[in-house]
Amino acid sequence: MKKCLLCEQGFTPVISFAEIFSLKKYRELKICRHCQKQFQRLTGKQCAICSRMLDKGIICNDCERWKRIYQGDVLRNHALYRYDSTFHDLMVSYKRRGDYAMREILQELCYEYLVKNKYDYYVPVPTSPEHQQRRQFDTISAIYGDILPLTTVLIKKEGSHAQGEKNKEERLKTPQSFLVDKTINIRENKQTGKVLILDDIYTTGRTLYYARDCLKEVFPGMQIESFSICR
Amino acid sequence: MEDSTLLFGRQWVVSQKDSSILKLSSKIPAIENKKCNRCGTKVEYRLPSGKFYCRGCIGIGRIVEGDFLVRQNENYEYPAKINGGMTWNGKLTSLQQKISDELVSNFKQKKHSLVHAVTGAGKTEMLFQLIAECMKSGKRACIATPRIDVVNELFPRFEAAFAEIEIGKYHGREFKEPGLEQLTICTTHQLMKFYQAFDLLVIDEVDSFPYVGNPQLHFAAKVAVKKNGVRVYLSATPTADLLEEAKQGKIQILKLNRRFHGGLLPVPSEKLFIKPFLDKKKQIHPKLLNEIKKVIKSGHPLLVFVPRIEEIPVYLQILQKKLQDEQIKIAGVHAQDPKRLEKVQAFREKKIDLLLTTTILERGVTFKHVWVIIIAADDPIYTAASLVQIAGRVGRAKDDPSGLVLYCYHRYTKNIRSSIKQIKEMNK
Repeated sequence: MKKCLLCEQGFTPVISFAEIFSLKKYRELKICRHCQKQFQRLTGKQCAICSRMLDKGIICNDCERWKRIYQGDVLRNHALYRYDSTFHDLMVSYKRRGDYAMREILQELCYEYLVKNKYDYYVPVPTSPEHQQRRQFDTISAIYGDILPLTTVLIKKEGSHAQGEKNKEERLKTPQSFLVDKTINIRENKQTGKVLILDDIYTTGRTLYYARDCLKEVFPGMQIESFSICR
Repeated sequence: MEDSTLLFGRQWVVSQKDSSILKLSSKIPAIENKKCNRCGTKVEYRLPSGKFYCRGCIGIGRIVEGDFLVRQNENYEYPAKINGGMTWNGKLTSLQQKISDELVSNFKQKKHSLVHAVTGAGKTEMLFQLIAECMKSGKRACIATPRIDVVNELFPRFEAAFAEIEIGKYHGREFKEPGLEQLTICTTHQLMKFYQAFDLLVIDEVDSFPYVGNPQLHFAAKVAVKKNGVRVYLSATPTADLLEEAKQGKIQILKLNRRFHGGLLPVPSEKLFIKPFLDKKKQIHPKLLNEIKKVIKSGHPLLVFVPRIEEIPVYLQILQKKLQDEQIKIAGVHAQDPKRLEKVQAFREKKIDLLLTTTILERGVTFKHVWVIIIAADDPIYTAASLVQIAGRVGRAKDDPSGLVLYCYHRYTKNIRSSIKQIKEMNK
């Protein structure tokens, strides 16, 4: 019997025969099936660029705008879940209250996808130094650091405000707040020629597009994509 | 050094770096021997620095190993007031008076009590003389309850009954600077912010969520009273652990089996449904709609309980459509509803005729002449205690001591049977 990290109730993880005999490393489940069901996967028709769920069309309004701003050079974002109230509550616990253990739930939600799709470099979006000091952990690196080898070449300027506290218009007007950390030595690794930027939530795309602007100097000629757990 | 009279009896967290010193305060490690000193939880999780942090009380601010709890412990005596500042001059029934007297005498003898009284027995009024006794001797009291709605209901009643006493109201939905009020009315979560503050702590609705089965809140309740302070528990459906404590003689049990108006508790009627309450086309079961219409025709305000928040907008839409001709106001309310307090108030003032709700309104609230329908009374969310409580919303007024409580179910559950049995037993 294990205790679910979310609802604190006991549960018994279900293990299939295939899992018992497979060579894959077994990952212990952190949340019960009932809580897992609360998180809604992105399904059905999705925006071809940012994975947002759509009723009609191929590209969402946000991506249409990025297409105009960047003259067609859009950022392909992969996302898995809908940002609904369940996810909001989880992020409040994780980021606002600083419940570090919640990263284990976020890891469980995206682990399978991330290990299946291979990239040469994984770059986490950085946290502002003020936030990191208050929380005593870096929100994004804490999620992905246990799953993937991270290349932390981005740093956030001091004094920049968090995106979560702004409305849509203010978010879009935010100036570039990322810098490239020149002191980091990037190990040679060219297999797929692809780079993945990692973030938690894709709301307007502003953060991730700025991150890509910076990374273009670091990884010239490589294909840069992004991943967010939610859209 | 700063003056901190207003913080007497409180405790709060300061980080390692904070070196300010207050007069008369003590400072202890917030986490000691892998145990949180604010909520009593065993700490299991660490930050990347390797320091433990507490998940039990993280909702009111994270405690990390190395932080300190500052406690402002000082025996403050309030100026004595004639009659304990009580301005209430209503009369208790002889049964209520007996309980009230026993509470006062237990308080004087420093004995803990459990009042087991039926819903609508007039528990609040029975507390007045006890509180007055405490106030009279210049001591400090707190009435805590798990539910915000109950805090909001109790506060104006005590304000009216104790016009000469300063009363502090604290819950998570309203920000209030800490004060040194002689009487505090708050949620049980707020108790974590107090340390040996109260000479008398009353916990109302002690059997309800989230207090029941929550070790953090039980810990906080023990810590918030002074070492020689007195605890009083109120409940219509006491939990097994309290009854056990009563059996062991740790608390004295005071029973009251009659409502203040002397009337019996309304016994719920039941209705079996074969088909689902909502079918695949989101149509409401005609029999259920009929029952709702009957209540509307009778002119009684109606509370309809549904098990889950997500169902409220669904039922709301259907009922608004189906009851168009009735010319009534319908609303839905649930725990996360930002307009919840306004809606409950509007229902109380009869500006809303039909209120759809989750279990948040199961207890502690009084609506005149209200009738109740429970949809899916067989849902596991309804314990026997909550069914008894919901049924207890009906027939609370002297001039209208009866009314309709209807359980709609597919499966006759143990909880349904047990709740009806409990109600009938109390009526004997």
